[in-house]
Amino acid sequence: MLKRWCSTLFVVLVVGGLVAPAGFAQAPIKIGVIQPLSGAVAASGNYVRMGAEIARDWINARGGVNGRKVELIIEDNKSDPKEAASAAEKLIVRDKVPAIMGAWGSSMTLAAMPKLQEYGVPMVVETSSAASITRSGNPWIFRISPPSEMEALGLARYVDKLGVKRADFLAVNTDWGRGAVGAFGDMLKKKGAAVGTAEYMDQAATDMNAQITKIKGGGGDTLFLTTAVEQITLVLKQSQEQRLARKIITTGGSSSPSQLIKQAGAAAEGTYHIVFFMPWFPESMPDGKLARAFVDEWAKRGHPFEGLTEGFRGHDGIATIAEAVKIAGKDEPKAIQAALWKVSFTGVNGPIKFDKDGPAGKESGQSKPSIFVVQIKDGKVALPDFLAKK
Amino acid sequence: MKRAAGALGAVALLTLPLWLANAYHLHVTIMAGIFTILALSLNLLLGYTGQLSLGHAAFFGIGAYTSALLALKLGWPFWLGLPGAAALAGLAGWAIGRLALKVRGAYFVLVTISFAGVISLVSVNWMELTNGPLGLPGVPAPELAGVSLRTKPAYYYLVLAAVAGSYLLCHRLVHSRLGRAFLALRENESLAESVGVDPTRTLVLAAVVSAALAGVAGSLYAHYVRFVSPEVFLFSYTVTMVIMVVAGGKGTLAGPVVGAVLFTALPEALREAMAWQWQMLAYGVLLVLLVFFLPRGIVPTLTAWRR
Amino acid sequence: MGGVGEERRSLPPTLILDALLQHLVNGLVLGGTYALLGIGLTLIFGLMNLVNFAHGEFYTLGAYATFAALALGGLNFFVAIAAAIAVGAVVGALCERVLLRPLRGESIDTTMLVMIGLWIALQNGELLVWGGVAKSIPHPFPTAPLTLGPVGIAPLRVFVVATALVLIVTAWLLIQRTRLGRAMRATFQDRETAALMGVRIGRIHTATFAFGSALAAAAGALLGPIFLAYPSMGDLASLKAFSVVILGGLGNLAGATLGGLLLGIAEELGAGYVSSGYRDAVGFVIIILVLLFRPSGLFARTERIG
Repeated sequence: MLKRWCSTLFVVLVVGGLVAPAGFAQAPIKIGVIQPLSGAVAASGNYVRMGAEIARDWINARGGVNGRKVELIIEDNKSDPKEAASAAEKLIVRDKVPAIMGAWGSSMTLAAMPKLQEYGVPMVVETSSAASITRSGNPWIFRISPPSEMEALGLARYVDKLGVKRADFLAVNTDWGRGAVGAFGDMLKKKGAAVGTAEYMDQAATDMNAQITKIKGGGGDTLFLTTAVEQITLVLKQSQEQRLARKIITTGGSSSPSQLIKQAGAAAEGTYHIVFFMPWFPESMPDGKLARAFVDEWAKRGHPFEGLTEGFRGHDGIATIAEAVKIAGKDEPKAIQAALWKVSFTGVNGPIKFDKDGPAGKESGQSKPSIFVVQIKDGKVALPDFLAKK
Repeated sequence: MKRAAGALGAVALLTLPLWLANAYHLHVTIMAGIFTILALSLNLLLGYTGQLSLGHAAFFGIGAYTSALLALKLGWPFWLGLPGAAALAGLAGWAIGRLALKVRGAYFVLVTISFAGVISLVSVNWMELTNGPLGLPGVPAPELAGVSLRTKPAYYYLVLAAVAGSYLLCHRLVHSRLGRAFLALRENESLAESVGVDPTRTLVLAAVVSAALAGVAGSLYAHYVRFVSPEVFLFSYTVTMVIMVVAGGKGTLAGPVVGAVLFTALPEALREAMAWQWQMLAYGVLLVLLVFFLPRGIVPTLTAWRR
Repeated sequence: MGGVGEERRSLPPTLILDALLQHLVNGLVLGGTYALLGIGLTLIFGLMNLVNFAHGEFYTLGAYATFAALALGGLNFFVAIAAAIAVGAVVGALCERVLLRPLRGESIDTTMLVMIGLWIALQNGELLVWGGVAKSIPHPFPTAPLTLGPVGIAPLRVFVVATALVLIVTAWLLIQRTRLGRAMRATFQDRETAALMGVRIGRIHTATFAFGSALAAAAGALLGPIFLAYPSMGDLASLKAFSVVILGGLGNLAGATLGGLLLGIAEELGAGYVSSGYRDAVGFVIIILVLLFRPSGLFARTERIG
């Protein structure tokens, strides 16, 4: 009887010993994702999530990272900074994720940042534009989206070609909108253009007629518009009703020109848009094949085409983290942080490589994303007239 | 028997960080504590004087911003910032009390909503003071005798002390002559007046204490999350507070505590239990069901059962 | 060039007048829909003593119902709007019977809490069903604005104002001229006596809630094509509705109508001349002032419906 027991135990131990290490090697690499999946900007958060899921599935189809599958643990920050902080806490402590991507809006990202510092977990920032995110001395932050200053610089080379002499601003009253007004205003002044008025609208506002009337009376020739696609639609429609004749340039990359064509129709004709991904001509992107594959996969999953201009962020964010885990050789937060500095590859937007930003000794990482300008012409998205070949 | 249960509960609370090792659960507990103070404060107005203030998030936010700004711009330590937050919030409470308590019922509700709305817009637009939508990052953690209270167990004890203090304050207030005046006003205002209760003075006093307590909660929040932005004025915070007080049982002291703990834990529990698409829908449905089966609130219903 | 048409370069004084007229016209269009929202809520709040936080959700429901009728049902635009109003009435009646009738007699805070739960459930339900992306509601009107002198107004907006006015007049007639309306007024003035006189209070409550919700749905159906339909659109609408109720006096239809128009115009002027960021503050400040100096509302003589 005893002998039976002992041999059974022996077999169990041996088999367990053989199986267990293999079992550990199969444990997936968990990546946390914090996005606004409900609330006012639910659409954008969901697009980013969809892009992240494509990245995960592609990575796993290729055999995962270091032989292990990638698993996304997705949390909703409900467009509320307090929730973003809670979500970060839960992901780090309960789910023990070694890295996070998030949190879309700058306020959400800023609220989650102290948690990163507290527990020592890196986060890749895929959308937020506030300068303070990479300037506040948090070495766990790595941003692949451009801060407003970088975006403004990206447009600087076209200011003369566009013929901007006097510009007005209409921006959503958040850190993003205000940051854009400041950054673009400074850039324009450096290029010798005049800056007129800056009007703001509440994030939930639907009637901007008052602001448009004011801008109409200001006499400028260009209007810079910074807000999410729904409000852009409304502003364009209301501008058309008020017969506001200006060049209109949207900033921030969230304007989804395809959606504008659908919803604003003729009111969107002739407008320019700063975007960070051109799904209408993916072959023109730095890695044309990857961009085309992403567009095709997105369509295959039945996701709306309009979401591509934001969805790619999710893909690039996850791809960056996966690349870092590969370089680090293990999914341990500190190793991933060190590896992120060594990352250099090309995502859907373009090359991703982090430069130091912020106070010495505790720099954050900031990549230099590619910035493009497109225009809506004849109800379709095209290269802007000043760039089109003669 | 009740004594033993109470003693056991006290011991459990005092040793909580020892047996609740999970940092995330500790985080939820700390947030529950902050909301308990908020719920107790709203209960003073809603439960005891019968005035529904739907602008309470304004006092919370004023407390948070005051404490944060005092620390960031003037370098004041937390121990001065907290009373400063309470004072300013209390002042706002006094202003609202004096202005709004000329009207009652639905009209009072509207004035409080409007007040909160104006304060919210000011915080978003007055960039020089509040930094507008960019918010105030980097609010320092409190220090006690050179030791930073940044760690969770330390902050837990701070919040626990604040909750105990708030509860005791409310207890003393409610059982005092002033407290009886509150109840009298809630039940029948003209009758109360005829026996010598001055409605305006009494209600204003309730508003001041209520607002000051909410300010304390705001200060604790600011130094815990260490980032203050206009979202503290979100109407959803007020709604959450109202849910906690009414579902927990307004007009009782234990009700807000139960409500606060339950409705802080509930969204987090839902976060674990189901995918993000269903969480808030479940929350709404559960709330409706709760009101249906326990229309008086949890604590009053339980108390009635025990009889 | 962005936008269609030319901009007139005028002399400064005329430009000021042009802008003022434009603001007024914009304000009127918005105000008409605020009035619809306000009338619905003033009836519900006044008659049922209910802090109806779900009012904005019926506004949202109206917009999505219109979208569904057009996109999925392929109905004619005007029929779709009528259908949306009907949906508002039916769902409203259902909510009253299922959620509020059993809670009759509970305190105002309890019924308010149920409405909060309904608000959360409805909004997140809509998010689940339709997704977070805003839906554009197609309409048959030409987009080129009509020109009335210096002022431009889109034909769609003319339709919205006209329909809103028709609905407001209908509401008036219902309250003043029909038996149901008389019963509602009686219940509002003196519940016990009305019950003694044979008024079926339960039926009146259901009818009131259904009617008020139908008006909110109408506002959503009308504004949906102008703006867009998205799950959180009702939150601001709720707040505006409450403001209009206070401006006009609880239960006062004429007050709600005038209050709604006033709020719309005041918001436009405030955003145009004071500061666009503080646009919504104008509404709030007006409320605070009104309540301080004329607590029963700008237009209330005595508290009564009608």
